[in-house]
Amino acid sequence: MSERTRPGLWTSLRRFLIRTRAMSGKEMLHIRRDPRTLYLALGMPVLMLTLFGYGVRFEIEHLPLALVDADHTAVSRELVQAFVSNGEFESVVSLSAPEQAEAEFRAQRVGAALVIPRGFEQDVIAKRDTNVQLLVDGADGVVANQMLTKSDAVLRAFSRTLLPLHLQQIEPPLQVKVWTRYNPSGASAIYMVPGLAAYLMAISAVLLTALTVAGEWERGSMEQLFASPVGRLEIVLGKLLPYLALGLVELLVVVAFGMIAFGVPFRGSPIALFAIGFFFLVGMLGQGLVISVITKNQLVATQAGALSALLPSMLLSGMLFPIENMPAPLQAASHAIPARYLVHALRGVLLKGNGLEVLWPDLLAQVIFAVAIIAVATARFPRRLA
Amino acid sequence: MSPIQKRSRRTPSGWVQLKSVFRKEVLQTVRDKRIMVLLTVAPLIQTIVFGFAVDFDVDRVPSVVVDHDATLESRAHERSLLADGTLVASAKLSELAQAERQLDEGEAAAIVVLPKGLERNLLAGRPAEVQVVLDGTDPNRATVAAGAVSRYFGEVGRELASDRMRQAGFNVPSVTVVPRVLYNPSLRTPPFIIPGVMGMLLLIVTTIVTAMGLARERETGTLEQVLVTPIRPVYLLIGKMAPFLVIGFIDVGLVLTGGAYLFDVPLRGNLAVVALAAVLYLMSTLGMGLLISTISKTQQQSFLGGFLFTLPAILLSGVMTPIAAMPPWLQLVTALNPVRYFVEVMRAVLLKSATLSDTRPQLLALLAFGVAIISLSAVRFRKTLQ
Repeated sequence: MSERTRPGLWTSLRRFLIRTRAMSGKEMLHIRRDPRTLYLALGMPVLMLTLFGYGVRFEIEHLPLALVDADHTAVSRELVQAFVSNGEFESVVSLSAPEQAEAEFRAQRVGAALVIPRGFEQDVIAKRDTNVQLLVDGADGVVANQMLTKSDAVLRAFSRTLLPLHLQQIEPPLQVKVWTRYNPSGASAIYMVPGLAAYLMAISAVLLTALTVAGEWERGSMEQLFASPVGRLEIVLGKLLPYLALGLVELLVVVAFGMIAFGVPFRGSPIALFAIGFFFLVGMLGQGLVISVITKNQLVATQAGALSALLPSMLLSGMLFPIENMPAPLQAASHAIPARYLVHALRGVLLKGNGLEVLWPDLLAQVIFAVAIIAVATARFPRRLA
Repeated sequence: MSPIQKRSRRTPSGWVQLKSVFRKEVLQTVRDKRIMVLLTVAPLIQTIVFGFAVDFDVDRVPSVVVDHDATLESRAHERSLLADGTLVASAKLSELAQAERQLDEGEAAAIVVLPKGLERNLLAGRPAEVQVVLDGTDPNRATVAAGAVSRYFGEVGRELASDRMRQAGFNVPSVTVVPRVLYNPSLRTPPFIIPGVMGMLLLIVTTIVTAMGLARERETGTLEQVLVTPIRPVYLLIGKMAPFLVIGFIDVGLVLTGGAYLFDVPLRGNLAVVALAAVLYLMSTLGMGLLISTISKTQQQSFLGGFLFTLPAILLSGVMTPIAAMPPWLQLVTALNPVRYFVEVMRAVLLKSATLSDTRPQLLALLAFGVAIISLSAVRFRKTLQ
């Protein structure tokens, strides 16, 4: 009698799996019927990686320079030549007075103006200490910093040419030898791939989940699902599984495309990559679920998702800007961002050849976040219709 | 009642139609408290996070100095090397192998090895070599670390060399560059990142929200209901954009105030030019949202479509990385990017007090883009309604 009313563990597990599979099947059907979502979700990584790989560079060749040569001598022309000869600077315009530089800055034609004072040649020939002035447009700090560093290097080299030849050839007494490991060519794609993988996985996991679950509430079909014999956990798992698979495919696409198109290495353990990526996705899916449960509205859910998942995943994960550079409160906050651990782990696996023996703290952090957020999601998920 | 009055009651004039649509849309948007809060609070939070998290002036690079010499001289060099804060000691280690493990785990990003016999060699006038091992994962940070070490030891070497030359009876004149940085003399990041953040925020808020809002009306069928009324689609379109124009202006005000108070972002130029640029820019971003909504069937699709436009637009705008650093073909693509023009105008006006005529090319580009995109989406909008 009791066996008929309370089915055995295996039977209930089997029924659980059947119902979960049915829910997943329904969600897959939604995705299949609307292939544009699928194309967008899979095409986005390739497009983003191409843009990031080529677009995220800081080094500028041919820095645009204005010249104010008040000396008009052979030596001043030599100095100008030193600035433009190796292609680091490009002389765009010649001005007759330093005051004209500001108009050029406002129209964004040049980034700096080199002012060579009258009497420059005489000073150099008389071996007197002398200087030139560089007016820099500080509105773009990245460009301005390069202007400062490179002009300093040009003048160092120029000063050296003023010495007698036998002194120029003397070796400097102290040399610095630099070894760059993991990414010796300084390729931005190699730097960007781990961060980008985290970012794209966060987008598809948090936002697509939030949208699809909030959509069920908006249309009222969630209530119909409650009326069916399918349980809460089965609804949640069934809806999340297809997006878990999609997220893992995205991770694969980003890494594979990065390896093929940009020569990103894969030096470490694939198991570590898979395990940490898997739990990261579970956590992000849970976060999407919490958002959709609270908002029940697609428009509000996207804004909340963008604010709570995308912004921190981009800025506080160390994907673009080093965390050690941030003020202490933000550094502390970054510890609560799962993307931080994923970016660290992906860089470790792909570039440094690390495995779980080094990366286990990252895995632990992902698991803690995933468990906590799923607990919140289940607690907030309404048992009954109000 | 005259026949003319009768007819005018049946089909109200364009002005009346516009006014009523405008009233309805603004009321509807303002009544949705959650979305209003998100659209105004979110930009403020983002401004704050961006202002604090983004710092292009990389310093505090975690480093390990491995001192094999362990003399007074080598310890003095270690102290002066770390003095300016570009490199920060993360651990005290005596073995290179231990330090390399720190590099693998990401605890340190640079290792400086002071060789055995450094003091003895320098005193005896023999050349010495300092080794630097860098974590190249983040090329920008690696460059900064290498630069700091090379600059310091280069300076030490040069002083030693010129001391020796002076002893040998040669006068070594110095030619130096004296930089003067305008507009942002200490090259702080917020003054040039906040105008960029404004461009990003307006894009995200207006494009995705417009696209999703219209897709939602299409999903629920309320858009078709409007067809039954005598309101012409053009007025409907303008009415749909109106609330976001208002929200966009509120956001511009919030970001400007937040930037000025929290991060000392200067407001030097004419704010009327800022307002004009904002109107022209919002035409483009709202038009883009409209266009995306006409080519997507569901909210999920329009969200992804919006993302597919906004992310590359942000990346190719010069906010994060200078456009001049991109490869030429990508620079050509940025010519079609309204975000780029808006950010250029913002930086020029706010920092350099650029005038209307200074920014005319960018403003004209924004106008052309806005008109083109709105006409295109209006045509498509009418088609999808029929």
